[in-house]
Amino acid sequence: MDGADICELSLTDLSKLLAARELSSSEAVSAALARLERLEGRLNAFITVLRERALATAKKADEEIARGNYRGALHGAPVTIKDMFETAGVRTTGGSKILADWVPETDSALVERLNVAGAIIVGKTNLDEFGHGGTSTLSHFGPVHNPWNVERIAGGSSGGSAAAVASGIGPLSYGTETGSSVRRPASYCGITGFKPTFGIISRHGSFRGAWSQDHVGLFARSVKDLTLGLDPVAGFDSRDPASVHQEQPTYTARLDANVKGLRVGVLRRFLDAVNSEVRQAFDAALKILAGAGCELIDLDVPEVSYAAMTSMMTSSAESAGINRRWFRERHQDFVPHVSRGIAAGMTITASEYLIVQRARHRIREALRATYERVDIIASPTTARVAPLLSDGIKGNGDDTRHASYNHSNLLRFPSMLGIPGCSVPCGINMEGMPIGMQLIGGWFADQTVLNVAFAYQSTTDWHTRRPTLLGR
Amino acid sequence: MKNTEKVAQRLALLEGISLSPADLEWIASEIEDLERVVAELEEFSQDTVWISLQAQPAGKKA
Repeated sequence: MDGADICELSLTDLSKLLAARELSSSEAVSAALARLERLEGRLNAFITVLRERALATAKKADEEIARGNYRGALHGAPVTIKDMFETAGVRTTGGSKILADWVPETDSALVERLNVAGAIIVGKTNLDEFGHGGTSTLSHFGPVHNPWNVERIAGGSSGGSAAAVASGIGPLSYGTETGSSVRRPASYCGITGFKPTFGIISRHGSFRGAWSQDHVGLFARSVKDLTLGLDPVAGFDSRDPASVHQEQPTYTARLDANVKGLRVGVLRRFLDAVNSEVRQAFDAALKILAGAGCELIDLDVPEVSYAAMTSMMTSSAESAGINRRWFRERHQDFVPHVSRGIAAGMTITASEYLIVQRARHRIREALRATYERVDIIASPTTARVAPLLSDGIKGNGDDTRHASYNHSNLLRFPSMLGIPGCSVPCGINMEGMPIGMQLIGGWFADQTVLNVAFAYQSTTDWHTRRPTLLGR
Repeated sequence: MKNTEKVAQRLALLEGISLSPADLEWIASEIEDLERVVAELEEFSQDTVWISLQAQPAGKKA
């Protein structure tokens, strides 16, 4: 098997080969690094590449597996992480000039758990500065390019992670989401992205964007691979105040494509703003879910119209609080658009923040009642495919500050409320760009979300389509 | 209070930070938006309970 074939393996297949010693971790890691080095000049998906360290760790993994100490599905597998997670002895920048040379002494909780699982981190991915953005163009290290068309954005803020997985640079990447930073780039890059319920994965040792909305999430090419990456990193951590007590995670073992009888809600009034090709792909995806035995239910939850502005105001105020000190001392070192956003956030008063939280509670209660009627809410992940880089931050077309039926409300409400969401590829438009559908569950209905996504991928092949950029 | 006064009042919160005229113009426009959004959300959230986010120390039991 040559390097290109290795890069195309799913994590499911790769881990079987590693466990059986039919493929070595050194070969898998070398293949990922070779692809990274071949494509990085066009993608700019990485801030730091850990070539020597990854190869040395892979060699150790091979020795352990040879001795019969196989630790599980991630053992010896090449993975990437967003440069939001602290890594002991390796610089951790947050995509910012301010921390361009900062080397932490300790690992984040995510990295600790990846190390225990035996995963090999080959690189730290590019992002919007400290997660503040939806394009991955607001990085001190330059914009991330979309592997489906390098003139388009990868989406953000975890754009480097999404571009890496879409390009076959490791089958799995970990990112963070405060507004839509996992689901949006997953949709734009034609891969599968999952953000679990608030508190399922520890955020200890990762930078805060807005603490009441920050989540750790992950990217893979299929739902099955996602669950293999989720099981080892989920679980209680007393160092994260949001962390929840939970049983030993068994998302992979409980993955079940039988979703007959599940109720899938559709918020139709929000679909008016959706591009026609995206709408067609979504309608076709709904038919697949209906064919799998799901009951489709039209919903009307007008409170969701206020989700984008509520989420944005919460983010602005919290990020201003988090960055206040750095901003006063070094505001000129922030990426200009991020700097302006923090400045605007610093003018929000405490009483205004509380009013926003009151509005957030009203939306939460409306969704709590909604999830008594349905198991899942389905929608297009984004209203249109990845915009051109030349359109800048306006290209996303987000208008988060108007109580209209704009699409940002659908993207924003899951993170604001802490409920699980998964974006799966559901089509390709006439320009060859991927389209995504998101499946949103109620609180702690993570397994239901994953099962519906799994059922969808069991009867469709959109998640197997690959960017033409890759070649061999 | 006029809009310009409200904007000036908020910009005063950034005192001591030297911002370019272009930055100030952008921030002022954000502030105008913010005023409107807060008013809309205040109206929207009328009659909703005020939530408490009091947290207990980790591991605390009754």
